[in-house]
This record gives sequence, C-alpha cells and structure tokens, in this order.
Amino acid sequence: MRNLVESLQSPLFRRALLEAVLIGSIAGTVGVHVVLRKLPFFVVAMSHATFPGVAIASALGVSLFVGGTIAGLAVVVAVLVLGASKVLDDASIIGVVLAGSFALGVLVVSAQPGSSKDLTAFLVGSILTVTPADIALTVIVGGTVLLVLSALHKELVLGAFDRVGAAALGYRPWVLDAVVLVAVTVTMVTAIPAVGALLAVALLTVPALTARLWTDRLGPTQAIAALVGGLSGVLGLSASAVWSVAAGGAIALATGVCFVVSLAVTSLTVSRRMPRTAPRDRVGGAAA
Amino acid sequence: MWDLLVEPFSTDYMRRALVELVLLGVLGGVVGVYVLLRRLAFITEVVQHAVFPGIAVAFVVGQSLLAGALASGALAVALLAVGSRRRQIDADALMALLIATFFAFGVVVVSRGTGFQSDLTALLFGRILSVDQRELIDTAVVAVVCLLVLAALHKELVLRAFDPIGAEAAGYPIAALDLVLNLVVMLTIVAAVRALGTVLVVAFVVTPAATARLLVRRIGPMMVVAVAFAGLCGWLGLVVSYQGSVHHGWRLASGATVVMCLTVGFVLVAAGRAVVHVVRSRPVAAPSREPRPAAARP
Repeated sequence: MRNLVESLQSPLFRRALLEAVLIGSIAGTVGVHVVLRKLPFFVVAMSHATFPGVAIASALGVSLFVGGTIAGLAVVVAVLVLGASKVLDDASIIGVVLAGSFALGVLVVSAQPGSSKDLTAFLVGSILTVTPADIALTVIVGGTVLLVLSALHKELVLGAFDRVGAAALGYRPWVLDAVVLVAVTVTMVTAIPAVGALLAVALLTVPALTARLWTDRLGPTQAIAALVGGLSGVLGLSASAVWSVAAGGAIALATGVCFVVSLAVTSLTVSRRMPRTAPRDRVGGAAA
Repeated sequence: MWDLLVEPFSTDYMRRALVELVLLGVLGGVVGVYVLLRRLAFITEVVQHAVFPGIAVAFVVGQSLLAGALASGALAVALLAVGSRRRQIDADALMALLIATFFAFGVVVVSRGTGFQSDLTALLFGRILSVDQRELIDTAVVAVVCLLVLAALHKELVLRAFDPIGAEAAGYPIAALDLVLNLVVMLTIVAAVRALGTVLVVAFVVTPAATARLLVRRIGPMMVVAVAFAGLCGWLGLVVSYQGSVHHGWRLASGATVVMCLTVGFVLVAAGRAVVHVVRSRPVAAPSREPRPAAARP
C-alpha cells in the first residue's frame, strides 16, 4: 500500500492514471459495438496487423498513430481482396495475414539496436511514459470516435441487428460496417502506447462482455462497459504499483477479474429469462 | 547457388534448427488442413496465446516449459469447452477474452522477474537456433502421436467437418471429436512454441494449409502440398536469415524470417492463382459450403 501512496505523488503516475481511465472508458464504449457485431476476431487480427505499421513508424521517426492506422487499413484491404475469391474462409485468411504482418513487424524491430526494449513497449505498452501529447491525442481521437458512434447510433444498431432491413430502408450496410471497423482500428492504435498492441484487445472486448452480463439494454451496456474499462485502468495501474508488475498486463488482467466477478455475481442474482445473445447455430457456431 | 542454399547448414545448431522446422512442418501442415476444414483458425490463435502463461510460470520457477505449456493450454481448451456450452456467452467473445487475459497473466508473471524485456522477447518469438537434441525428440514424439490420432480418426473428422448433422445422426460423438481435434491443435502449438515463440506459431498451422488449398482441392494432396510448402519455407527462411545476418549484417530474426517466407509464398500463390483465373476466365472457385460466420467477416 505504501508503494501506491508514494506512486500517487509522482506526476508521471497521475498522468498514467488519467490515460488509463480515458483509454479504458473509450475502448469499453467502442467495445460494445465489437461484441454487438461479433467482431472479436477482427480486433485480435487488428492488434497484430497494426504492429508492423507502428514498428516502421518508430524506425522512421514518424507518428506511431499514423503508421498503425495505415497498416491496419492496408490489412483490411488485403483481407477483403484475398477473400474475394471465396476459396478460403475469412478466418483462415485473417490468420495468414495477421501472422505474416506480425512477423514483418518483428523483423523491422529486430533489425535495429536495442530491439527487445522497443518490442516490449509495442507489445505490452509503457503507460508510465505517456506524454501530455499522448493524452491530448487520446482525448481528441476518443472524443471524435464517441461523437461519430453516438451520431450514427440508431443506424449502427439497426445495421448490426438487421442488415437486410437496413438495406431495405436505403442505408448502405457496408458504409456502416466501415464506420465501425475504422472506429475500432483508430481506438486500438490510440491505446497502443498505453497498453500495447496485444493487450488493447482486452480493453476492446472484455468490458463490453462484462457489461452484457448485467443488462440486456444497449444504453446501460455502454455505460457499464465504460465504467468497467475505466475501473480496470485504475485497478490495474494500482496493482502494478503495489506489486511492481507490468502495468499493461495488470490492466488487461483487471478486465478479466471484473468479468469473472461479474459472472459469479450475476449467475447468483440476475434471473435468466431471456437469452442474452442471438441464438447461434449449435453445431457450426461454436467452432467458427 | 547450391552452396548458398547448403552452406548455412555446415554447423550443428543450424542442422538441428532445420530438422526441427521440417518436423514442425510435417505436423503443422497436416493439422492445418483439419483446422482449415473446420475453420478453427481463431481457436488456434486462442491456444497459442493460452500456452503463454504456462510457459512464463514454468520459465520463472525453472520447470519444463513443455509441461507448463501443456497445463495452461489444457486449461484454456477446457474453459472454452465449458464456456461455449452457456448460451449467454458468445463463443467468439469468449475466445477474445481468453486470449487477452491468459496473455496478460503471462506478461504479469514474466514482468516479476529480472531481465523482463529479453525474457519476454525470447518467449514470444522463440529461439529456433538454440533447439537441442531433447527438444527435437520431444517434437518428434508429439508429431508421431498427433499424426497417429489424426490417421485413426480421419474419416470421422472429415465427415464431421463437412456434414455435422449427418455425423451426429450417424451416432458419432461430435463433442468428443471436437475435443480431440482441439487437443491435437494444442499439442502442435505446444511442440512448436519453444522454437517459434507464442505469437508466430499460428503461421505454421494456418498458412501452409491455406496455401495448399489454393492449389489443390482434394484433402490428401492438400496435406502433401502443405507439408512440402512448410518444409521448403522453413529451409528458405533459415538460409535467408543466416546469409542476411552473417554476410550482410541485416540482423534478421530466424523465426520471423521463416514466417515471412511462408507469408510471401502464400501471397505469390494467391497472386499466381488470380492470374491463371483471369487468363482462363472461367470460374474455378468452389462454391462455399455453408454460410460464412459473421464474426470472421471484417
């Protein structure tokens, strides 16, 4: 506990705390759309796909955010082009592309001196070294993403639940898809300096999944997800100060703890009258 | 030219690395075809992250990495089996949750030790060049066991992949078949993880089979092509990383170079196939057999 009190006096730690809460609540809210559209595999793929972009940007000394976003969008295009022939299923193509782009990132990083330190920072983040500029970027990007998502909320939800209906009403479903994919990619890239590429997955999926355990309604789900994301940031960062473990890992693990606790509490208290997710094809669904 | 391709293997450690990659190529190529048929690429990704905390704990307490990887991999497969029975939890979301939390736990464990950064790098990206005799034997044993199991259950696994309802109606235990295949995938990952590391190992399972599928349509030939492709890329990758590092000072990490060879090979085959497709200008694509899962659609 004394470690924690000491840490709180350091401006670096307070800055990290602010960044963790911001990232956690933004990613938590965006994550609701990820779970709604069943995009978790896309998020995992994106976490690997943005990595070479971030690595190359760091080697060239340009903005990590721009590099990661370009690489992420390039991978989206690659998956769409390779998927057009329909010989391979999307999951296999994403698997091939994500492993390949990750290997490319490793090659770029390992070609430079001091590589293992940089590599660690990309993979698990280094939230204690965030700068005021990083925080400003988080606020601007996060604010824009949340603004776009809330402006298009009705259309996005319609598109997620009833694609055919949305198309019949004159919306273009692929535009709505693209909005969500871009929002997820941008949020992911913003989170990389703080929690790293691999652990951003946790913030973009687990808080939303946790919130789904508590309520079936969309508005409360987003509020709870933002809360869980922010809380995980505080808990993880505090744990990392007390036990001196990696902050990014501790934050991601905190989201998992929130999920397990929620699962235990809700299985005991909340009655289960309604299925919480759309029914899936029992045989094929679990394997997909 | 021949010297260029053979010269790197004059030393023992390079020969051992090549043997390890060929063994993993045989195993990964064959298992990958089943993964492709069943669309299990995401589960493979889950398992490769799930073995990480086991390896991390084993590394910190100085126990066998293989045992640690087996334990945490088995735990993840069990949680997946239990969790996907509950309708309230979406299977894809559960997998993302397992990936994130297992991986985070591993990172936290490794970060407790000294030398965090270099340890993490070694565990994540493997040390193919420091494979020893015992690890080769371990890999060979795992490969033989997995291939025997797959050979014995081949007919049932293929039936279950193409016609799950028919297989269930014919009285085959679907859940048991799924569990066996998941365990085989896990063993493959565990065998490959020390050499290739926890984030690159998925390439050895998914990429060769996907490349083979672009070239042939029958399952037997697909396995042969996948194995040959994996072995070839393992050899080329080692040659490139050796020649680059020794003669040109490029510092190419061997594991990542091998995976890059696999990916470049896949892209070349896909491009070649597209060209042939345009030239012949008649449909050669097989109709997709079932609606594609929404989650995998970006």
